[in-house]
Amino acid sequence: MTAPLLSVEDLSLSIRTPEGEARVLDRVSLDLQPGALLGLVGESGCGKSTLVKTVLGVLPPAARATGGRILLDGRDLLRLPQAVLAREVRGRRLGFIPQDPALALNPMFTVGTQLLEIWRWHAPEGEDRGRAAGRARILSLFRRVQIPDAEAALDRHPHQFSGGQRQRVLIAAALLCRPALLVADEPTTALDVTTQQQILSLLGELAAEYGLSVLFVTHDFGVVSAICTHVAVMYAGQMVEAGTKADVLGAPCHPYTAALLACHPDRMAELAGIPGAVPSPLTPPAGCRFHPRCDVAEAGCQARPAGLTPQPDGRGVGCIRFDPARPAA
Amino acid sequence: MSAPILTARDLSVHLGGKSRTFARPVAPVRAVDGVDLELRDGEILGLVGESGCGKTTLGRTLLGQQRETGGEIRLRGRLVSGLAPREARRARASIGYVHQDPGAALDPWWSIGATLHEGMRIGGVADRVDRERRIAEMLRAVGLDPSVQRRYPHELSGGQLRRIGLARVLVLRPEVVILDEPTSGLDLSVQATVLRLFRDLRAAYGLTYLFISHDLSVVRLMCERVAVMYLGRVVELAPTAEIFARPQHPYTRALIGAAPRLDPAGALAPPTLAGDPPSATRLPTGCRFRTRCVLAAPACAEADPRLEPAGPDHEVACLRWRDGR
Amino acid sequence: MPLALRRLLTDPSALLGLGILLVMLVCAVAGEQLVPYPEDAFDAKPWQRLEPPSAEFWFGTDGLGRDVFSRTIMGARVALMIALSVVVAAMLVGVPLGLLAGYHGGWLSEVVMRVTDVFQAVPQLVLALAFAAVMRPSVSSAMLALALTYWPFFCRIVYGETRRVKSGLFVDALQAQGAATGRILFLHVLPNVAPAIIVRATIGMGVTILVAATLGFLGMGAAPPTPEWGLMVAEARKDLPEGWWQSLFPGLAILLAVLGFNLVGDAVRDIADPRLRRSR
Repeated sequence: MTAPLLSVEDLSLSIRTPEGEARVLDRVSLDLQPGALLGLVGESGCGKSTLVKTVLGVLPPAARATGGRILLDGRDLLRLPQAVLAREVRGRRLGFIPQDPALALNPMFTVGTQLLEIWRWHAPEGEDRGRAAGRARILSLFRRVQIPDAEAALDRHPHQFSGGQRQRVLIAAALLCRPALLVADEPTTALDVTTQQQILSLLGELAAEYGLSVLFVTHDFGVVSAICTHVAVMYAGQMVEAGTKADVLGAPCHPYTAALLACHPDRMAELAGIPGAVPSPLTPPAGCRFHPRCDVAEAGCQARPAGLTPQPDGRGVGCIRFDPARPAA
Repeated sequence: MSAPILTARDLSVHLGGKSRTFARPVAPVRAVDGVDLELRDGEILGLVGESGCGKTTLGRTLLGQQRETGGEIRLRGRLVSGLAPREARRARASIGYVHQDPGAALDPWWSIGATLHEGMRIGGVADRVDRERRIAEMLRAVGLDPSVQRRYPHELSGGQLRRIGLARVLVLRPEVVILDEPTSGLDLSVQATVLRLFRDLRAAYGLTYLFISHDLSVVRLMCERVAVMYLGRVVELAPTAEIFARPQHPYTRALIGAAPRLDPAGALAPPTLAGDPPSATRLPTGCRFRTRCVLAAPACAEADPRLEPAGPDHEVACLRWRDGR
Repeated sequence: MPLALRRLLTDPSALLGLGILLVMLVCAVAGEQLVPYPEDAFDAKPWQRLEPPSAEFWFGTDGLGRDVFSRTIMGARVALMIALSVVVAAMLVGVPLGLLAGYHGGWLSEVVMRVTDVFQAVPQLVLALAFAAVMRPSVSSAMLALALTYWPFFCRIVYGETRRVKSGLFVDALQAQGAATGRILFLHVLPNVAPAIIVRATIGMGVTILVAATLGFLGMGAAPPTPEWGLMVAEARKDLPEGWWQSLFPGLAILLAVLGFNLVGDAVRDIADPRLRRSR
């Protein structure tokens, strides 16, 4: 196996709140291989957005990483100064596609102006940072992401695009400076299904074409099925299971993954949810945070430290009840 | 086949649009434009379509919250359209509506109990003891403890707010409940319990649902029949199993093909539909889908197709549906 | 609202403001009992003119020999009375008009908003001066002039807030239930608009005290010998700069009163949020 492009190792993170210290991430690990499309899934409050913000280095001031590393190109992002992160990592090595394309662009400026600004700051080493070179690069990307009438589109303001077209503009913006890693935070949640399909299909093509690795945050297993090669499942700030799409969706090993998949309307035999509620990060249960809601919990679950146990077939499972010979579902 | 409880004939709703003194007149948005639909006693009818297709406007018009521009609405055979909003609501008191965001549909300054009592007072239940009994009963029926009445909306979770939204409507003992995107924004595990609740309550209170949703997986699981809307018109209507197995309208086919499904062996499919829908202020001539349709022929620009039978209990509004199979 | 109260009591500037207002209230209610020379509010004592501050007269005496300390303390009652009645009167006119105009829109809102535009086009002080000038100078004509010029401020705020609240989903839900307009307006929209009204009213009290004092200073408000702060400053002018204490202390009283109301207004703005309400 080659070395991962992005590697999160035992990342723990706390956020100070008026009510106390919220332990939002608990020893989270994640490997993203070159060329892989990893779907990061989990319900609201599981910490997937916080994880993405930590990777991007855009955490609120009240948040503090209490342990672990985030390695990209062999450098620990947690220890890089903000100036280096902003100049050399974000935009240049790491492209970001946000959830709501309507909010991600400044309504006052044309998209051409905004993308040229990115080029001026983040153009790859050795490339011309000038207007003409930037404009040519943006135009070629606009054509590649199938924005109709690309030349004229440069001079339009964000509100003159439909939601799907705006998301295409943002994909072009993320790819502008030839990053190796693309982080997409629910990029199609705000879109209709037919538009979603267009965008997903485009993202898949581009990833293959440029050899990109994609960290794809979503809550929709249908989207994961369509575009991802690998899946990582989070629950209440812990990573519970990671592996290939076929393994995790086809034969889930962690009781939470199995229960969550059983709640999907395409899977549901009888309509039943998961009893109980996600615990507050202020007072998380000890050990495996899922054990109070788990059908197969036993005494040892409260002592199991968070983290995935690697399995011979390459997947990782965070459950002491897991028996490699017998999948949970 | 059971009797229709609520029917719409050639219903249209045009929003906005006015002549201005010093400027070109503003064309109205034809949000609902000639819809024929009937809701059968005891069924769950799914209403699907993409944003801007007019499904929410249709729901609000059936409720009486939005006045229709043309066409008629009958409730158990009685004509209830052509009325001013207040009278329309009174005539359709047996229709309830659950908002897409039930949290925002609650006054933040009022406790849950006060809001529930108020709805029943407006609904004509004057006796406080009677109201208290019915509210407590309904809160238990939706799976909440009656003590939740002392709480305020911001203290409740998304799943709890859906339940309150349902209880608020059901204490008025409606026959028809319009559910507007009832699962949007819910996590999978919460969604499952809420869907279960919808089913249980239908059985317990003999309800009929109009289930407005953009999530085809949920609609497939919950509904007996499905109506597909495109730009203000119902383009196909059939039993759920039939429409998913044999979709006849090219738009329905594209929609079903685009909906992501949970599948460990899933792979990226090429887009089934290109471009964006045209503006509802300037519809194409003839068939409104022809600008994006794979089957479009010159004849499609001439005639505006209406729903016609295309199989057992299956209707489709397309000139060329026979050619698409 | 225990949480809201806790917020208020842990905010030092809010506490300072509350303290100032409390002292002012006590002075207004029990002025005669607190001051050494209650009769000095009105009676001239020419034999003790322009005494500087001393143990006998803490703030000195004025040009007519009256105790400045007694008059300053008793001035609190006049100031509070003016502020309260002006703000209440302006609210009684401005709030219902703003609610109706904001909720119904159409020609009613056009008419109401254009009238408030006219009022707000001219600074409040100038307009109040004009109104006061056509009446006989007295405390009540000052109050009338201020109320007449202050209601558009409430109207504007309530109008804007009503428009915002009205577009909320819960108003839609109430309409769907068939609730009457009056019920929606006064039981639902009004409480949601209330925080903005309370903030405006609190700050408005301070502003009103200041403008009332200005009117008094310019001779268009309270008539002598009423112990009104603005008037006291005006009367002190002829004895300046020797009799500085005559104008300093009523001036400080104006400053403190305005400061108190503004501090409390700011604190109320922060806590007047329904999300801070708890059921238990």
